[in-house]
Amino acid sequence: MDEVLQVRGLHKTFGRGTSAVQANAGIDLTVGAGQVVGLLGHNGAGKSTLVNQVVGLLRPDAGSIRLAGIDAVADPDAARRLASVQAQANVPITGLTPRRAVELVGRIRGGRTPQVRARTEHLLDALDLGPWAATPAEKVSGGIARLTAFAMTAVVPGRLVVLDEPTNDVDPVRRRLLWAQIRALADDGAAVLLVTHNVREAERVVDHLAVLDRGTVLAAGTPAELTADRRGTLSLEVDLVPGRTPHWPDGSTVLERGHLRATTTVPADRAAATVQWAADEQTAGRIERYALAPASLEDVYVDLVETTEETAA
Amino acid sequence: MSTATLTPAPVRLRSRRLADSWSQTGLLIQWQLRRSAQALPLLVLVQIMLSVATIAGYGLLVGHPDHLAGLYLATGAPTVALITVGLVMTPQMVTQSRTEGSLDWLRTLPVPRSLFLVADLTVWTLIALPGLVLGIVAGAVRYDVDLAPTWWLVPAALLVSLTAAAVGYAMASLLSPMVAQLMSQVLVFVVLLFTPISFPSDRMPGWAQDLHAWLPLEPMAQVIRAGLAPHDFTVPGRSWVVLIVWCLASVIGAGAALRKRG
Repeated sequence: MDEVLQVRGLHKTFGRGTSAVQANAGIDLTVGAGQVVGLLGHNGAGKSTLVNQVVGLLRPDAGSIRLAGIDAVADPDAARRLASVQAQANVPITGLTPRRAVELVGRIRGGRTPQVRARTEHLLDALDLGPWAATPAEKVSGGIARLTAFAMTAVVPGRLVVLDEPTNDVDPVRRRLLWAQIRALADDGAAVLLVTHNVREAERVVDHLAVLDRGTVLAAGTPAELTADRRGTLSLEVDLVPGRTPHWPDGSTVLERGHLRATTTVPADRAAATVQWAADEQTAGRIERYALAPASLEDVYVDLVETTEETAA
Repeated sequence: MSTATLTPAPVRLRSRRLADSWSQTGLLIQWQLRRSAQALPLLVLVQIMLSVATIAGYGLLVGHPDHLAGLYLATGAPTVALITVGLVMTPQMVTQSRTEGSLDWLRTLPVPRSLFLVADLTVWTLIALPGLVLGIVAGAVRYDVDLAPTWWLVPAALLVSLTAAAVGYAMASLLSPMVAQLMSQVLVFVVLLFTPISFPSDRMPGWAQDLHAWLPLEPMAQVIRAGLAPHDFTVPGRSWVVLIVWCLASVIGAGAALRKRG
């Protein structure tokens, strides 16, 4: 694999003395060409700090960052020529239209006018931004602004593309289009580092994941590797009928029970029996609907982060 | 895939980068101008008003000045216009772009840091230009003085504009937004009233004269004054040195502020 981004032993602390906050406490991370690597973590887990060090807005206290063979800490200018970044905050583009903003940024990034035009049209079309393309930016919604910011990053992508929460504020229909474009970036050869909270949706496009908490990588691997421990169990979600209590299937464990919804796990080898159980309960009017699915990455993620919090407490 | 072709970020040769720098500067200027398109007419108008109002306002203060005082007032107004753009408008615009998040985003672009300064400076000089020219015309008419602008007035005006903008830029990048805004307000008063721009420096107390001998403001006034009325004024060699040293130091400072990594 052609390793585009290589982060080793990255440390970054803000402030001094008792008020010091260790945002990155020894991060190792690799993103290869053609790969989408998801970086998951809470607010304040150190994700944006990591991103800002890659493009030279922050200087690491210790550790190394190599971008396509270049020392990004020593030569941030070179690093910026190799990377394109969609920041977490939206880029203010008042005074411009989405199309104009994407084209201008494409040319600032060194693209040639005809190619930039063609690529801009392709992205506007692929993200269904056509109806908004010529609307002044002050009149577009947050979701459209977010997609415009993505297109500004993807118009002339770097060897490394960093996307910090690209799906925030985006409607569900366009979110699917966006995920397809993120995957396309990697399929065309870019290394994509995707920072997100949206674990459930990211699961479908990432090749590799790293879970970040308190500045360290808690777990890393492919979605299948991370969920391997739970291969033997399925997650059963049930919509309840108000006032009725279902008879839970054999071998299930109720994890969470709300007023209208409950989450349980069942052993994988009891899948067929569980489906039969659900059909019977529905007929008896004790449940409304149900969904049976393999243990999700989100469950694994929540478990991982909660376990460390308990340990820390 | 013809329309969707990805152009991977090219690792460019040094010579190619120089050509790119030119086009990148142009594109950055276009970006900044388009972004402030709505406010632009107002900004230009304010500059014109400031410049013409300085002429008219000083006229009210002094009544009917003699020839020399008239020359000071007529040549002082354009200097005030240039300095306020750099020291007052620049910090305000940089602070605004810092608080709205533009500056951090711009800093992730593969653009050499110096080009941001060049692009912004060009935009601000363009904003100041109409006020500058109209201020000169208004001054010549109001005080009935003959101005004979020399060829080097243009580079001198650019030097003044560059120095003022770079100081403003560094100030806005290094100070907290609130302090930078306050500083720029205070500077308007200092420039308008307590700097020997529209009056000779010997009217000031000794300590103030000594202070201005080391600040760039008086030399700025001297070069514009001598550039507009070369028969009546000359620029002391020392003033050129002070101004050029300030220019170099402030450009280096602004560049360092842009390159700074937390």
